[in-house]
Amino acid sequence: MFLAAPFRGVISAVALVLAPALAHALPAFARKTGLACSSCHEVWPRLNDFGQSFRDRGFRLEGGRDAPIEQPGSYWPLAMRTTVGYQWLRQALVATDGGTTTTQTGAFGFTGLDVLSGGTLANKVSYLVTYTPGLTGAGFSQGPQDGDLESAFVGIHDIGGSSWANLRVGKHAIDLPIDEHRSLTLTQGYNVYHFHPQGSAVTYEPGENQTGVEWYGHSDYSRLRYSISVSNENGAPLSGHWVSTPAVWAHLQGTQYVDNDLLAAVTAGVFGMSGWHPTAFQVLTPTEGTAAPVLGTGSSFKAYRRMGAELHLTFLSIVFPLTASAVAFTGSDDAGLIQSGVRDGQFVGGFGELTYTPSLRWTGIVRYEQIRNTQAGSDAAPLATGNLNALTAAIRHTVEMTSRTELAVHLEVSRSAALAADGTAPSTVTGLAGFDFAF
Amino acid sequence: MRRSLLFVLLALLPLGLIAAAEVPPALDIPTTEAPTAAPQSLDAERVKRGNAVYDRYCISCHGVEGDGRGYSAPWLDPAPRDFTRGVFKWRSTPSGSLPTNEDLMRTLTVGLFHTNMPSWGVLGERNLRDVVEYLKTFSPAWKEQAPAAPIQIPAEPTNDAVSREKGGEVWTRLACASCHGATGKGDGPSGSTLVDDWGHKILPHDFTRGHYLKCGDRSEDLYRVFMTGMSGTPMPSYAESLSPAEAWSLVHYVQSLVHEEP
Ligand code: HEC
Ligand code: HEC
Repeated sequence: MFLAAPFRGVISAVALVLAPALAHALPAFARKTGLACSSCHEVWPRLNDFGQSFRDRGFRLEGGRDAPIEQPGSYWPLAMRTTVGYQWLRQALVATDGGTTTTQTGAFGFTGLDVLSGGTLANKVSYLVTYTPGLTGAGFSQGPQDGDLESAFVGIHDIGGSSWANLRVGKHAIDLPIDEHRSLTLTQGYNVYHFHPQGSAVTYEPGENQTGVEWYGHSDYSRLRYSISVSNENGAPLSGHWVSTPAVWAHLQGTQYVDNDLLAAVTAGVFGMSGWHPTAFQVLTPTEGTAAPVLGTGSSFKAYRRMGAELHLTFLSIVFPLTASAVAFTGSDDAGLIQSGVRDGQFVGGFGELTYTPSLRWTGIVRYEQIRNTQAGSDAAPLATGNLNALTAAIRHTVEMTSRTELAVHLEVSRSAALAADGTAPSTVTGLAGFDFAF
Repeated sequence: MRRSLLFVLLALLPLGLIAAAEVPPALDIPTTEAPTAAPQSLDAERVKRGNAVYDRYCISCHGVEGDGRGYSAPWLDPAPRDFTRGVFKWRSTPSGSLPTNEDLMRTLTVGLFHTNMPSWGVLGERNLRDVVEYLKTFSPAWKEQAPAAPIQIPAEPTNDAVSREKGGEVWTRLACASCHGATGKGDGPSGSTLVDDWGHKILPHDFTRGHYLKCGDRSEDLYRVFMTGMSGTPMPSYAESLSPAEAWSLVHYVQSLVHEEP
């Protein structure tokens, strides 16, 4: 039943390099409202508070012009995003017949393509569909990305007239301390959103959009917000429950503005999740071949948990902010979910991030991330296997940001290393220079 | 797991404070702002910070120069305000005068219904006060004119059949229907020919489509519109021809024209 996953941490880190998480920033919203992209994005694609509130309200400004019938017939809510340029990649300790070596590639290409459509279906009903086609040249020629709907949901808002009651149904983003879909870094995402204890069968990653329902609410200006997502565990074999491989995520976040020249806002939050994954299946053995589990027969559910906290300090002003963020994350998977597991597999991780946007043209970001296994679920590999460090720095120059299009020049370097079972720490250094654009 | 518990507790601490502290800014129309004789000088610090707010949030419509010619403006109806003339529609001050800070704060927090001007309340009081100060740099009017005192709005009398009937008589006497139409649908005989001070075609308000005014939907908001007019538009001030009692009756009559909820 277990995938060979001793190095899942390593694999997911590399996968991120190959398929940077791109997504939500919709120039179509700006075309509809007449607002500049900078109204909602501190720097595209990172949301500011006005943008967060617009999103929480279901892509509405609540000024009587949200419904689709308020738009001219020629309005078509479609947007696309990709990054073109050059990516340099150096990987240490790559195995070859002649022993390990350091590889190097320098590729001209593009990251991938996001086709986005979002907006309102009726006055208080929103939707979003994100299509990321599997293109051979994506990820700077590293191979095809998944061709799937990255998101597809309908949102029903202000149920019973209250902003505290909203529902999204479908594949939606998990409400995270910092949304990876709007990450300002392109070669590294947030590894901790994808991390698993060594040898775990769990496939739930809060960084991936999950298919389910999200119940959420917010105060008038989204200074206080909560979200509860009930979903299937993305990618897990469907089990015999009425919600197969269920997972529940909850997040509570609050922001306080400060009338001060140095500190402008403080945001804090807590989050946690629990999921249940089957450890036994009935099997079917074909005449020739090996036994395969029969979907819908999963049983003997074992639990896994994640939880943590966040703190964001916004200095100077919310208009041109310097933001320091710290996110701490812990995880624990039941021994029964770990290959040859004898105890629960546990880890602690987190990242610190500094973002500075001194003007509408420039943004800089530095992030350091660290993940440590704190308890090995099995004795098959040393405890430290999978431990990860990543350092990323990027500068983004916004060339064009109107109510029609967005174009940025992006320069980035990152280095990540995850400890392998043999005690070595193969590192990956990535450089990226390119144009990031959306229309 | 003990470490994680500590993390959670640490984060809960500020959260508790936050939950306790969220109060929407109270922005009622002041009726007692003292009249000042001289034009007020601008707060340089606020102007500087307000400039940043304006650049990020307002330029796309109101333009770099504050002349209402931002890059989105060509396809917006109604057109974004041109701040260079110092003419404002939503004021608590008499016709022809500048609005008070609180008037502008109210426009920004409430937003202008069914126009592209959203509510900017999310930005918080500090940023809004900053941008209000910055708006004043666009027109010399703020250097020349002293802010006027807001009009007095007496307490609302009972909204009953008598009051509404009296209001109907006032509506007829003042010929509101010539622009707003006999049933208040905004289809009066001269309604289709109106232009504002900038030469844009402008339609009289349709009262039958819900009770939403562009800025606020309280009875006082309605009262204020008759008594201060909407500078820059054909909508005149009736301060000279209406007694406060008549104005309140007119409010009640206009409210009775609503046929459907928005
Ligand atoms: C998406 C376009 C848009 C943006 C962005 C926008 N406005 Fe407006 N604004 C308008 C429109 C349109 C009007 C005029 C509505 C009318 O006259 O009916 C207006 C009117 C106003 C008024 C006029 C009030 C009066 O009494 O006449 C003020 C003040 C104002 N805006 C301030 C701002 C400020 C400050 C910002 C930035 C924080 C901003 N606006 C951003 C579209 C916009
Ligand atoms: C010369 C034509 C004209 C006359 C006469 C007139 N109005 Fe108006 N009125 C307008 C126009 C034009 C507007 C729309 C202004 C705008 O939206 O910017 C308007 C808007 C209004 C509004 C809406 C304000 C808001 O905030 O949205 C009210 C209320 C109103 N008029 C009441 C009256 C009443 C009551 C009378 C009679 C006492 C009257 N008007 C007479 C032209 C007129």
